[in-house]
Amino acid sequence: MPGVEDCLTELMDIPGVLDALVVDHATGTAVAVAGSGQHLDAERSAAALNEALRATLDGLAEAMTTGTLRMHDMIVTTDRGHHLLKPVTTVLDGEMVIYLRIDVERSNLALARHRLQAISARLTT
Amino acid sequence: MPRLDSILTGLAGEGATGALRAGRSGTVYLTEGRVTFAESAHSPRLEDVLTASGRVSAAAVQRARRAASATGAPGAGNGDANGAGNGDANRAANGAATDANEDGARGRTSHRPPDGGGALIAQGVLTRGELEFCVLGLVLDAVYFLLAAAATRPRFVPGERHWLGPYWYFDVTGLLRECERRRARLNDVWPSAQLDTLPVSPVPRLPGQRVVLDALQWEVLVNADGTATPAELARRLGRPAYSVLMAVRRLAAAGLLMKPPPPRPAAGPERREPSAPEAERPAADQPAGKLPRRASAKGRPRPSGAVAPARAGAAGGGWPAVTGDPSDVSMLIRLRDALERML
Repeated sequence: MPGVEDCLTELMDIPGVLDALVVDHATGTAVAVAGSGQHLDAERSAAALNEALRATLDGLAEAMTTGTLRMHDMIVTTDRGHHLLKPVTTVLDGEMVIYLRIDVERSNLALARHRLQAISARLTT
Repeated sequence: MPRLDSILTGLAGEGATGALRAGRSGTVYLTEGRVTFAESAHSPRLEDVLTASGRVSAAAVQRARRAASATGAPGAGNGDANGAGNGDANRAANGAATDANEDGARGRTSHRPPDGGGALIAQGVLTRGELEFCVLGLVLDAVYFLLAAAATRPRFVPGERHWLGPYWYFDVTGLLRECERRRARLNDVWPSAQLDTLPVSPVPRLPGQRVVLDALQWEVLVNADGTATPAELARRLGRPAYSVLMAVRRLAAAGLLMKPPPPRPAAGPERREPSAPEAERPAADQPAGKLPRRASAKGRPRPSGAVAPARAGAAGGGWPAVTGDPSDVSMLIRLRDALERML
């Protein structure tokens, strides 16, 4: 039964991870941050990433008008790395979002995605 | 009267431990100058959130609470390691965040008796991570509303602790900044507070063909019964009051909520209009249809004394305005031609 900090430590152990951020989806509050964070203004990044996720969810929901939308994760690749966003539903507080930025050269995206899945699952059960 | 935020800043500077009671509005608990718990009359209580999830029973909360009080003052004498700082890679996000687990780690490795939160985790009803998220959400929520409420003079009780124990440490400046950010955010979404304290009542029909809702907006709409305010809904749902408020503002921005009735003064002039002199009304009605006017002149039982004004109205303002429009002219010519043919 890991805490938020343990979870962050494990996230940072994933090969190639540069930054990790946990965001409260309902409010855009930065919950915890780890990594090379100096060039990452946690507060602003959290709010902005949260808006990006919200916009994507809204867009997808409108694009697919059949039933509800359940996002597992969202991956965007830029010249600064792979950006992974994973919504995690916690029973008590609704949605949390885990954000990872991963080095494009020194990483295995499939592995990172798999590990993120496993870590977030343990956080909520 | 000193404001709550300045008192909190002062207590943080002193590294105080205890409870800051703001009358009936709520309480903020500090541990060595950092906020570790808070409750507000406007936001859901810990018990609400734990039991509303369906995962934790009210009995389990009671047990944990009893266990905490049985082991005496929770967390007493464990503050020494605090100044050491956490040497790992984690930095506090927005100051309102992390550091949490230097204590968490210590709690597990040391011989400290379990506090209320420890008892909950030991019962296996929720994980440490879930409890930390829960405390995080509750404290941010409660402090947001505590700062907004103009309370009675806050009273500080040194040494008093919450039964749950510390599960998240908030830096006071970061906490205040986060509350400020949240206030601004709310106004970005929908800049009016008029629906914040009214019962939530959805519009009966969608002002469009389809709409996209997020999970919390759905919960709010499904549970809105026309009497519950956002704060009451939050308590019922066990969701943060701020998040519910945000959902309500988003719904309002999308035009999905009934607006409160507009202020009364507008009703005055409206009422006066129909009571205007009776004679003006027929005149006003005239342009709509020409034949009825003719009928009214002959057969319709008319209010006594209204005849002359009605005719005057017909002759004067009742006609459409004459213009040099070619269609008007050609119409007159055709009319004249037709009349001539009848002769």
